Order: sequence, then structure tokens, then C-alpha cells
Amino acid sequence: MQVTAMHFKRKASENLRNEKLQKALEKLQTKFVDGRAVAIAELPNFGEVRDAAAEIRDKVIRSLDRYLLRFEQEATARGAVVHWAETTEDVNRIVAEIAHQHGVHRIVKSKSMVSEECGLNDALETQGLEVIETDLGEYILQLAHEPPSHIVAPVVHKSKEDISDLFEEKHQRPRTVQIAELCREAREVLRPGFLSADMGISGANFIVAETGSVLIVTNEGNGRLTTTLPRVHVAITGIEKVVPTLEDVTTLLRLLPRSATGQSITNYVSVLTGTRGKDESDGPEHFHVILLDNGRSKLLGTELQPMLRCIRCGACMNHCPVYQNIGGHAYGWVYPGPMGSVLTPSFVGLENALDLPNASTFCGECAVVCPVKIPLPDLLRHLRTRQVQQHLRPWQERVALRLWSWMARRPALYALSTRIAARLLRIFSGSEKRFHYLPGVTGWTDERDMPAPAGRTFRDLYRERHSS
Amino acid sequence: MRVGLFVTCLVDLMRPGIGFAALRLLEAAGCEVVVPAAQTCCGQPGYNSGDQKAAKALALKVLKEFDGCDYVVLPSGSCAGMIRVHYPALFKDDPSVIESIKRLSARTYELTDFLVNVVKLQNVPGRYSGSLTYHDSCSGLRELGVQAQPRTLLAMMPGVNLTEMRESTTCCGFGGTFSVKFGDISARMADNKCEHIRATGAGAIVAGDLGCLMNIEGRLRRRGDLETRVLHVAEVLAGENGLCK
Amino acid sequence: MSARENILARIGKARGPGVGVDSDDVIRRHPRGPIPPLGNNLAKRFGEQATRLASDVAPTATLMDVPKIVADYLRERQLPPKGVCWPSLAALDWQGAGLEIESRAAHGDDPVGITGAFTGIAETGTLMLLSGAQTPATVSLLPETHVAVVEKVRIVATMEDAWDRLRREHGKLPRAVNFISGPSRTADIEQTVTLGAHGPYRVLIVIVGGSWNE
Repeated sequence: MQVTAMHFKRKASENLRNEKLQKALEKLQTKFVDGRAVAIAELPNFGEVRDAAAEIRDKVIRSLDRYLLRFEQEATARGAVVHWAETTEDVNRIVAEIAHQHGVHRIVKSKSMVSEECGLNDALETQGLEVIETDLGEYILQLAHEPPSHIVAPVVHKSKEDISDLFEEKHQRPRTVQIAELCREAREVLRPGFLSADMGISGANFIVAETGSVLIVTNEGNGRLTTTLPRVHVAITGIEKVVPTLEDVTTLLRLLPRSATGQSITNYVSVLTGTRGKDESDGPEHFHVILLDNGRSKLLGTELQPMLRCIRCGACMNHCPVYQNIGGHAYGWVYPGPMGSVLTPSFVGLENALDLPNASTFCGECAVVCPVKIPLPDLLRHLRTRQVQQHLRPWQERVALRLWSWMARRPALYALSTRIAARLLRIFSGSEKRFHYLPGVTGWTDERDMPAPAGRTFRDLYRERHSS
Repeated sequence: MRVGLFVTCLVDLMRPGIGFAALRLLEAAGCEVVVPAAQTCCGQPGYNSGDQKAAKALALKVLKEFDGCDYVVLPSGSCAGMIRVHYPALFKDDPSVIESIKRLSARTYELTDFLVNVVKLQNVPGRYSGSLTYHDSCSGLRELGVQAQPRTLLAMMPGVNLTEMRESTTCCGFGGTFSVKFGDISARMADNKCEHIRATGAGAIVAGDLGCLMNIEGRLRRRGDLETRVLHVAEVLAGENGLCK
Repeated sequence: MSARENILARIGKARGPGVGVDSDDVIRRHPRGPIPPLGNNLAKRFGEQATRLASDVAPTATLMDVPKIVADYLRERQLPPKGVCWPSLAALDWQGAGLEIESRAAHGDDPVGITGAFTGIAETGTLMLLSGAQTPATVSLLPETHVAVVEKVRIVATMEDAWDRLRREHGKLPRAVNFISGPSRTADIEQTVTLGAHGPYRVLIVIVGGSWNE
């Protein structure tokens, strides 16, 4: 997918003024934030499960190769073919080859953020293959030619009226604004696609080393259809998604839907192992699993390693006050919100996403809600440190910070200059004792007043009172 | 008990009354308070902007200044969090100072946390009459667990009528340099906060961090609200109706 | 070098030499994580949780009662009395209850799909179905109405218990293990939950073996 993270500031500003989007984002708050709170409260040993989940993810990441090899061995023994891809181009090439090899024309796809990383749909379409997104949200986006704005709720930015307009235009059916009817319409339009597709492409929420299985959680059932009906199934996932055992995946499943949508469990959890048996009447005859690196292995052994624990629940963005106000598109790549602000610079280059690590107040709520205890603010701060080390920050900022710390280490000079500043700012602030405009900090004063200092510094007053 | 008061650079420059309020509260609790004259900044602006070198230099300065104190107390959750949580992280690979940094971190407290949990203050010296609502500043809340402490202290004041606002724990949008770098996002977050404050009908918004207070005050005034008072919790607890000179 | 070798080499380099040598042992032992407290009456909890997730739940004494329960359920909702069932349930007297049920995998237009279940999981009110020649996966998926027959005695507390039973009774995993927790749903449009997305619009769980409140 094309990276537009360098336009973060402009996009964020546009989105703040987009009233329709603002209204749509409010729903996120009530449904996802409140929903998670209720679902967590209903799990009496949540803290214990969360600790265990983080430890499971850490254990895997510490010896990722061993668990991947075990997965490969078990999956292969059951008739799956395991492919390894270093880059997104590799993934696109491998999928196209598999399609070619099996004489595929039509592909149905269930939601996969890794395939968004790859820009897979476009790549396959240029090969003359028909690709149909089947997750309702992703299907709407495919019709609208838009990228997702949330990893769990991809069309959170659209109203039902937007979707009615789109369906009316594309389906040539009578317009409806009833959500249930829109859902039925999508079901009816997509069902023939499922029944006639040659290949199904899915992501994987987890892959299980013990059994060589791919695990998918969905609510709509499109994930099941995609992986059951076509004769070829291709699952694409990141190398970090492996977990050791069925028990481990169960622990993680206690947290993933609760953190994502406030559900105790998703409607469907499918554990897929190998191909259709000789005497079976359904299921794919060919099963391919593609393991993508695309920068993940480079995080190992660095300060960013904890990011590989991520299970893509979206809780960090749902609870992020920045995301809540600007939505996902501003982040300019596949993954928005705090997790995206770590992943995007890591995968597409720090210099291509300069704003993202800085677009956080470090309020810390993302780390509080993360089901696998990723210290997201610390990781963002680390990326800021790297920006400074690599001289990627604007010179004005570097000079200002240097000057500040230089002054702060010279108490006498610091006392003198703050005394002067406090006095002068007080005088210039006039009778209102606040500024409507202050050069150098217009980012602040464009939409806020700046309160003026009291006029004398604490140290001045304290010395005066305590010397007498 | 020797308590070092670190008023923070923002209080020193902008609103010294908060420093004196903190001083009064600590003295009311029977502490011997020292205020190191050379204190400046804890290093947080540099640290959060990615300049670790600057942050370390200032951390070492703080370490030296508060060397003789049994406790270090700050009227700010974010600066206290900087020392308590982030100093040890900053020096984790520096065996020459990590032990003394850890000792400093362990004896550093946010003001209300210190008053409630260490000295167990029973009476507060200030007087206040009126309604107020409390904003939980992020670092104090999430790094130090400051939530019940200010409310416990405010509850000791018979004239205080505390009305909780919706989403009192949601960030006000300050975030240090964030408030200038991403001014419009920051202002929108502040605006949401102002809405929740307005909805309570309280006469004052109270918090434990001056950065948040300046942000909230700036947005309230720009919205045309010249009435709602914006007060640091120490000013309420130690002052005469929020005024502390 | 191949992509596989490159990736494994990078991972291997970042990993300490002795780290994770016990990975196969971890898998062999497959230790459980923390289990939430669930109470003693598993069947009751199963029924309550399933109801909460919008499944319809009907207890009954014996398997023989199932065709009549299904027929009544469909009639009350004015749904067509026809569809498919798992070959493993073909012996029941569907015709006697006025139902037209074929024993096979489902097609796109079968109105009702009737399945058994490997087990029910009390923690979340979830059905666990295994795919196989006698238990095709499409039957619980393509029709608009899914009926699942669960034996009360087979209801277990947690997914961990279900894995243990699967290891014990089957040794290895079938092609598909499907955990089902109510009708298919979507909340993609305005985060409003709508039942009936690509899978069934309704799920009837018949618990065989007496009242689930006992």
C-alpha cells in the first residue's frame, strides 16, 4: 500500500474539520471503548490472563525461528505448503504463482491487514485475476476505492447514507438506508462469488506451532466461506503471529475479541489444519500459508521488539484521544493509531513517517488497554530518540531544545532570564493577562489563549521571603 | 523528615503561587521543607523529544540537588513521573549512577500522593467554598496511580462541592511540545475537555499539573468562558478560595 | 540464499544461542494459562452464555425429540421446513416431523442446516464442530438457519478442556475446527450490530439429555 504518512498533519487538520467523520468517530467511543470496559470487567482474572498473554507472546518472539520451523514442519505434514516472503513484492508474486499454478480466475478474500501491507488486490488485478473482498467493511471500501481507516472496523469513517449511495450506484438495486437491509444486500450480491470462486485468500490471527494450524476469528462468516468453499486456500500472515500451543492460543482468545469489540468471543473461531480429506465433501484441496517478514525480523533484539507481541486488536487506537479525533486515514498507511505509529516508521522508514512518533501526548491510555502489555509510549519515545540521533528533526526544534537544556544547566543565567521573561511577558499581556497571539508558538495560540506568567518567578519570591 | 520541594520549571516561571501552596501543605504536614535554589527543570522536554543526552544531564543535576533529602515532592504528576519512572529507564545501562538514581526515584512523590500516603495529612490549611470538577492528568494517573489522593484531600474541605465530569481521565491534549507541534489536534482535545467541564456546571476546574491547566485555561478563554476558574489542586487545598500568594 | 534462509538467519542472529531450546518440550507439555472461575453447573452456564450471544436454546430429553423441536421452531418463524443434515444425523425421523431433510454437504440455497457438535463450551456458550466426511463444515455455514444438537454430558468448561478431549478422542486436528457462538453478525456499518451477515441468521441449539438448569 502506498505510504502517505508524510502528509499526517495536513490530513489530520482536514479530518478535524470533517463533520461527517467526526460524527462517525463518536460511535467508536460508545461501542468499542465502553464495550471493552464491560467485557473486561466480566473476566474476573483479567490481570492474570493479560500477564500470561504477554509472556506467551514474548516467549515466541524470543525464539521465533524455533516456533516457525515447528509450524512449518507440522503444517507440511498435514499437506499445507508453507512459503516464506521477505518483502510484500514476494507475497504478491507467490500468490500470483499459486493462482496460475491452479488455474484460478476468481478470488474471494476475507479481511487481511497483511494483504493491505502488500497492496495485494491491485497486484493480482494487474495479472488479470478477479478479486472480491468479502468482509462487509472491506467490500464497501473496494467499491469505493478507499483504504481502511481502522484495523477492526475498516469503514468506521462512513455513514450508512454513504454506503446506501454507494450500493445504489454499484448494485443497481432500489436504495435502502436500513442497516439490516444493506447487510442482506451485500450477502446476496457476494454469495455467488463465494460459490464460484477458485481461490480464497485469508489472513491469520494466529498460527499454531503445535498443530501447523491457521486460526481465524471472524463475525460475519465470510472468513469461513473463504476458507471452506474455494478449492484453493491461501493464508497470508506475518512471521510474528505464531504461538506455541492450542492452550496458548486459547489464552490469547480470551483477550483479543474483548479488547477489539467488547465480545467475550467472536462468532466464529476457525482452526484450519491441512487440506480436505479423501472422503470429505467440502474444504479446500490445496492449502498454502505465506509467512511475511517485511521488516519484522529487524525489530528483534532492538528496543522495538515488544511491538512484535501485537495481536492487532485495535484497542490502542480505539482508546487513543488523538485517533478518536482524527480517524485512521491521517496515519497514511495500513496501521493507524499508536500501534501504527510504531509499525509504519519501522516498516516503511523513519524518514517517511516523521510525524507519527510525535503525534502522541504520551497520555499512556494505549499501554493501559493493550492486552499484551506493549509499552507503546516508550516505543514511540524511542522512535523520537532515533529521529534525533539520525538528525531527522527540524533545526529550529533542535536548537530550541538544546538552548533550553543548556540554560537549565546554568542556574544563575536561567534565573536571570526567567526573571526577565516573566516580567516582560506579564507586561506585554496587557489587562487581560493572556495572549491571543504569541510568535513562535502559533500552534498553541491559533486556537487557544496563552495565559501570562504571574510576573515574578517562584525562586525570586522565595528568596525574598526567606532572606528576611 | 527533610522534604525537598521541586516546584518545577513551569510553576517557577508561570504561577509561583502553586509552589507556595505546596510549601504550605508540606509545612502543615510537619515536614522540614528545603527548596534547593539552583533547581530548574527535570529534563522531561528533552526526554520526550528524543534528546536523551540533554535529559540525562538535567537528571544528574536533580540527583545532586536533592541528595540530602529524605523525600522529593513535586506539585506535578508528569515531572514526578519523569523522576520516578523514567530516570531509572534513562540510566538503566549506566552502572555508575543507576543505584543512586533508583534511590532518588523511590523517594520521589507527586504532592497529593505524598500528603495522603506518606505523611497521612488529616487537615488541610486552605479554605474553599464552591463547586469544582477534577481533571486527572495523564502521567499522575497512569504512571503514579494518582486518582483517589486529590479527591481524598478535597473531601477534607467542607466547602468543596466536587462534581465529576465525564471522561475525567481522558487526556486534555497538552502533551508538552505536542500542544504546539499539533496545535489543532491538541486544541480539539482541549475543547472536548472544556465541553465536559461546562456540562458539570462547576465553578472551577482543578488538576494537579500546570501544563494541563494552562491548556484548559487557554481553550476555555478562547471559547469565551471567562468565568470558570482554573486552579491547581494545591492552590485549592492551601489557599483562601484558591488564592495562594 | 532463499527468503526462508534469510529470514531464519536474521531471527537466529538476534536470538541468544541457547534461548528457546525447550520449545518442543513446551509444545509437548502444552501447559494451560489462567482459567477464569466458571461455577459448577456447566450446562446452565452454556445455555445462558449461548442465549446471551443470540442463540436460541432448547433442552430436551432424548435425541428422538429433535425433529419435532426443529419442526416447531421453523413453523413458529414461518421458515421453510427443508434443508440438510450431517450424515451422522441421517437416521432421525425427520420425515415423521414433516421435514424434508437431505443428508449431505450444504449448497448455497439450503434453508436449514442441522449438525451435531463435538462439544459445547460453557465459558462462552460456544459450539465446537469438527469437519469430516460425516460432519461437513458447510452445513453449519451456508443455510440461513443452523440447528446444532449438543449432548448435555459432553459440555465442557473451557476451550482447554475441549482441546484435551479432542487430543484424547481424535489424536489430531480435523481439517477444520469451527467454534460457533451465535448467528453470524456484522457491526461494520455505523458499529451497529446486525445479525445475519454471510453465515446463518439464527442458531438453534438443542441440548439433549434433560433440562440444562438441572
